[in-house]
Amino acid sequence: MKKSEMMTGIVLMVLSGFVIWEALEMPPSATFGPGAGFLPFWLGIVLAVLATILFVSAWRRPATEKEGEPVFPGKQALFTIVLTLTGLAGYILLIEVLGYLMDTFLFIVFLMKAVEREKWPLTLMIAAGTTAVLFFTFQILLKITLPSNMFGL
Amino acid sequence: MYNIFDNLILGFQVATSWENILFCLVGVTIGTLIGVLPGIGPTTGIAILIPVTFGMSATTAIITMAGVYYGAMYGGSTTSILINLPGESASVMTMLDGYQMARKGRAGPALGMAALASFIAGTFAIIMLTLVAPPLASFAVSFGPPEYFALTFMGLTLVSALGGDNPLKAYISAVLGLLVACVGIDAVSGVARFTYNNMNLLDGVGFIGMAIGLFAVSEILVNIEEPIKQVFSDAKLGIMSLFPNRQDWKDSFGALWRGSLLGFFIGTLPGSGATLCSFIAYGVEKKVSRHPEKFGTGLIEGVAAPEGANNAAAGGAMVPMLTLGIPSGGATAVMLGALMIHGLRPGPMLFSTNPEFVWGLIASMYIGNVFLVILNMPLIGIWVQLLRVPYKVLMPLILTISATGIFATDNNVFDMWVMFFFGLVGYVMQKLGFPAAPMVLAMVIGRLVEMSLRQSLTISHGDISIFFTRPISGVLTVIALVSLFSPLLRLLWNKYGKGKTAAT
Repeated sequence: MKKSEMMTGIVLMVLSGFVIWEALEMPPSATFGPGAGFLPFWLGIVLAVLATILFVSAWRRPATEKEGEPVFPGKQALFTIVLTLTGLAGYILLIEVLGYLMDTFLFIVFLMKAVEREKWPLTLMIAAGTTAVLFFTFQILLKITLPSNMFGL
Repeated sequence: MYNIFDNLILGFQVATSWENILFCLVGVTIGTLIGVLPGIGPTTGIAILIPVTFGMSATTAIITMAGVYYGAMYGGSTTSILINLPGESASVMTMLDGYQMARKGRAGPALGMAALASFIAGTFAIIMLTLVAPPLASFAVSFGPPEYFALTFMGLTLVSALGGDNPLKAYISAVLGLLVACVGIDAVSGVARFTYNNMNLLDGVGFIGMAIGLFAVSEILVNIEEPIKQVFSDAKLGIMSLFPNRQDWKDSFGALWRGSLLGFFIGTLPGSGATLCSFIAYGVEKKVSRHPEKFGTGLIEGVAAPEGANNAAAGGAMVPMLTLGIPSGGATAVMLGALMIHGLRPGPMLFSTNPEFVWGLIASMYIGNVFLVILNMPLIGIWVQLLRVPYKVLMPLILTISATGIFATDNNVFDMWVMFFFGLVGYVMQKLGFPAAPMVLAMVIGRLVEMSLRQSLTISHGDISIFFTRPISGVLTVIALVSLFSPLLRLLWNKYGKGKTAAT
């Protein structure tokens, strides 16, 4: 926790510096009263102060045994998380290309097969069932036009 | 009496339309389901439901979402008692004595008491809401920008100071939320802030995408990492076995009214939430008990107190949301965000401009609590069976419902990327111990914070004493400052104390 908190502190300090700089670039108020950059500027200052406190208190704290544990998961778990996120990114990227039905079906197959390593029959059943229920709920009950592919599916 | 009866009659007229009755039932059923299933909490459930409620009127939408919220308080106790696994965080305390009761063969009365305590405390909280909300709202009508700024400031500091064990991280989370709210065109000057020529950001960061990302997606990522253990219960539960006996009622009587009162009043404070209320109620019960050492061995009052408190808190949480437009925690923040998208401006004016909305909601909560007792007593066997649905089936479902719902709100793929981004942010935050609720809360009231701050300073020509010299805003600002610096004072106290022991 000690190391990761110091890292977080540094990242937040950089972020606050960026926010303050951006806020100063914003045009001042044309009339009287505070302008567009007023709140972002002060939020940047507050964030910088809080990030400094976080960094310093983590730095001065001795690393206890319990805190020596890694915050983030081992390789195996990290791999499945990256896999899930990649799948989600792919799903979002392809939704307007493949159309809703096909994209959703493939995404669920990917989740069940690649992430959870399920057997094929269950995978296909869940994928088809979930896609059908969602399509029915959104497209037919709620009358929302979901994206379709070049074949109109 | 502020025409409470006229208003309630109006409310019941709204709430008993077939549509509202139906969606009240749908809401509390989904709420119970979410409460029963580990790995998905009420805030996540409400966030996922927002897009689905879009086709409804604002009143039906809030009736459904509120139903999910207080319904989850009922459902959560089931798993706590039967398999020693809380369905959601507000049921953690129910586990201590509830599971011990189940091990002693008294699962029936424990479940029954949980449902009945929830009903009694829940109904008590709605009666209190009916009585307290209108005068508070008419009082708040006179609030100007300085009062609003003080109020939102107090809300943010209380949420951060009370919600979680690390206030510093909660403050950082809140500041980040306020910064996210700054993105987009500034309503006063028309300057585009932090948009970088991205058309999609001109209107600000999409609230639904952010809420679903922070709650639903990040929760999924955490659950993938640490798979939820599946535990079944084969308790046979007949309807008659559920009723607590006379002795149980006698033992629980004190716990019930203390839990109801504590839950409601602490629940109205911003930042408290149902979880904290159930912790406090259990603690208080242990303190006043004549046999505190027996807590944790299967005492029925150990079930009645936290279950009553978390339901009363769900009612209490509606008070600041409806009367002041300030959410008290994550779940109400998400509801408030949804209302704004529906075009309603929550706040004191709501009682006079949209009485059918406010009173329809309040009346629906009376009805919903009756539904819930029916759902949770005779039908409890069905909910127990639902525990057999494996998480690996739920996970793709939650993820695709979330993504589809977000797309459906604006037909915009960009909002899905917002969800993706905040899902990742939420996961990292959770791993590092930063609570997500202050961030969402700050994001929801961010515009109000900024407008009221700038208007106040414009009125006073830049003099910040305006927040202290007006009586109401003065009191609120002082409370906010005290809660803001309370962790710092505590820290200094600890350091000083530790330094002294090290020296001697």
